[in-house]
Amino acid sequence: METVLSDGRDIDTKIATLTGEASHQLTPAPHQPGVWETMPGAQRTDPTYYDRPMLKPSVWKPYIPAYYFVGGAAGASLALGAAAQLDGSHELDDLIQRCHWTGIIGSSIAAVLLISDLGRPSRFLFMLRVFRPTSPMNMGAWILAVAPSAAVTAGLFARRTNGILQRLGEVAGYTSGIFGLALATYTGVLVANTAVPIWQECRRVLPILFGASAVASAGSIFDLLVEGSRTQRITYSFGLAGRVAELTAGLAMERVASRVPSVGRPLKRGFSGFLWRAATILTAGSIVAMLWPGQKRRTREIAGILGLGGSLLMRFAVDEAGKASALDPRASFHQQRSDLSNLD
Amino acid sequence: MQEVIVSPSEALEFEHIVAHEDTRNGRGANRKGFFTDTSLCIGCKACEVACKQWNQLPGDGFFFTGMSYDNTVQLGASTWRHVAFIERPMALQGQDAGAFSWLMSSDVCKHCARAGCLESCPTGAIIRTEFDTVYVQPDVCNGCGYCVVNCPFGVIDRHAEDGRAWKCTLCYDRLKEDMAPACAKACPTDSIKFGNLEELKEIAHQRVDRLHENGVQDAYLYGADSKQQPGTEGLNAFFLLLDKPEVYNLPPDPVVPTKKVGESWRAMGAAAAGIAALALAAVFGSRMGERT
Repeated sequence: METVLSDGRDIDTKIATLTGEASHQLTPAPHQPGVWETMPGAQRTDPTYYDRPMLKPSVWKPYIPAYYFVGGAAGASLALGAAAQLDGSHELDDLIQRCHWTGIIGSSIAAVLLISDLGRPSRFLFMLRVFRPTSPMNMGAWILAVAPSAAVTAGLFARRTNGILQRLGEVAGYTSGIFGLALATYTGVLVANTAVPIWQECRRVLPILFGASAVASAGSIFDLLVEGSRTQRITYSFGLAGRVAELTAGLAMERVASRVPSVGRPLKRGFSGFLWRAATILTAGSIVAMLWPGQKRRTREIAGILGLGGSLLMRFAVDEAGKASALDPRASFHQQRSDLSNLD
Repeated sequence: MQEVIVSPSEALEFEHIVAHEDTRNGRGANRKGFFTDTSLCIGCKACEVACKQWNQLPGDGFFFTGMSYDNTVQLGASTWRHVAFIERPMALQGQDAGAFSWLMSSDVCKHCARAGCLESCPTGAIIRTEFDTVYVQPDVCNGCGYCVVNCPFGVIDRHAEDGRAWKCTLCYDRLKEDMAPACAKACPTDSIKFGNLEELKEIAHQRVDRLHENGVQDAYLYGADSKQQPGTEGLNAFFLLLDKPEVYNLPPDPVVPTKKVGESWRAMGAAAAGIAALALAAVFGSRMGERT
């Protein structure tokens, strides 16, 4: 290593070696907090430390909320594909195939998004060096490894009519469906399993909201893709139910978060509040378009685009709300104090 | 050479204490930790400097924050000790020195008995060492950033340029050589005490009793055991505080997220079942639609 005298280490490498635990860290960019003008200790009832955040906000880039969206849509498609496979009728072969393709392409994009967010992308396979049920992220890595593999296997042997390979294809199809269910919902647990106050407070709603949103986004994709009267009916009811569930779960999340005002604030104010409102409006608009009288191709397409937008914005709203919530020390303090008083 | 930082008089006081084996989770008597007694902290930041020097951490830049003497601001990827300065318009309890007082506290990774970062780490990069401390293996961490949102104290952070997560190692390299961590070694007032956890707890309880006798009723231990802090099941680096935890930017009731995540997994089960039901209803419902 070069002699570094200007990075705060003040080590002359002619007389000392850089072998300490952190000797390879680069100098971080200095942060510039604002100037504090009053005595912080004067605030006796609801104190903070100079209003500084108590928690660290998530370091995730927009890849991660995009991943929730893409992975969710892929997972819900795989689940629908397995359900169609259970029907056994050949008129659904097209739907099954589209479900598999959506699942495979979606999972692949999802994996790329996840890897792009890593601080050390070349080490992405380290996710699979342990099996750790306490870490939803580790569980997610396994789910993301299995779901598309099963879908590819199912797709490869779908055209076989008999023999062991056909059996394998069938089993793979159902496996991809089950892992698709997990892929569509586990991200809710991933977000809930954090110290971020709003995510922690909504830990029971988030998996349901994310699952519903996954169904809505898968349904929206099929609104844009699917032809054929029976598949149209299937994707219509699937997508409509998903959107209604997403809207309902969103309202529930807002209610749960608002039990402690400082915890619920990011859903009402700021950029995250704007995204949240926009997501709600788009999803509601999508439902209206679905229910618009006279089933036309055009309204289905509008519903699909609105539905995709609503789902995508909802994921970004939750991500942004988490960041805002982590930066507000009072959100944590109030949430924990309210928990203290409600000990059961 | 085993170094337990206690003054000679305290050493005599605790000669009779036999460190009893703590068999919880199969953890032996070799549990090391910090007891940071903030009533002794003079805010010299020798711990910060010693930590930076020993671990060869880069500097954080030079600027003034206006936050009393605190220009370090927070713990982070390249800051593993942080001295907080709190100015209060009141005298310290037991003192008669006018309406002003300073609280100073050297913050550090708590090395929780149930560590959120460790339990959430998807690569197994974060491990529990033979000293019962929590250590991030830099050669394994892939920088997923999940530990950052899982720490209820906001300690661990991902280094923006380096890409990996970093935090206090409790000087794992020094511990392996039977040496005290750099910060404890450098602390001129023994505010940072390092040693066997059970011995530290005895010292801490005696210190609180003595402060209470001297009229400092505000003094209390923060995170000394799982009874005080069920959410983390106790901290291997615990504190003696003189004001509310919030004043020091510490959470009043931190809970390791994995403690409550069962509720989320159950909700996920319900959500997955719901999606399966929707998919099946959509497929088989469309059959009926055909007949009518």
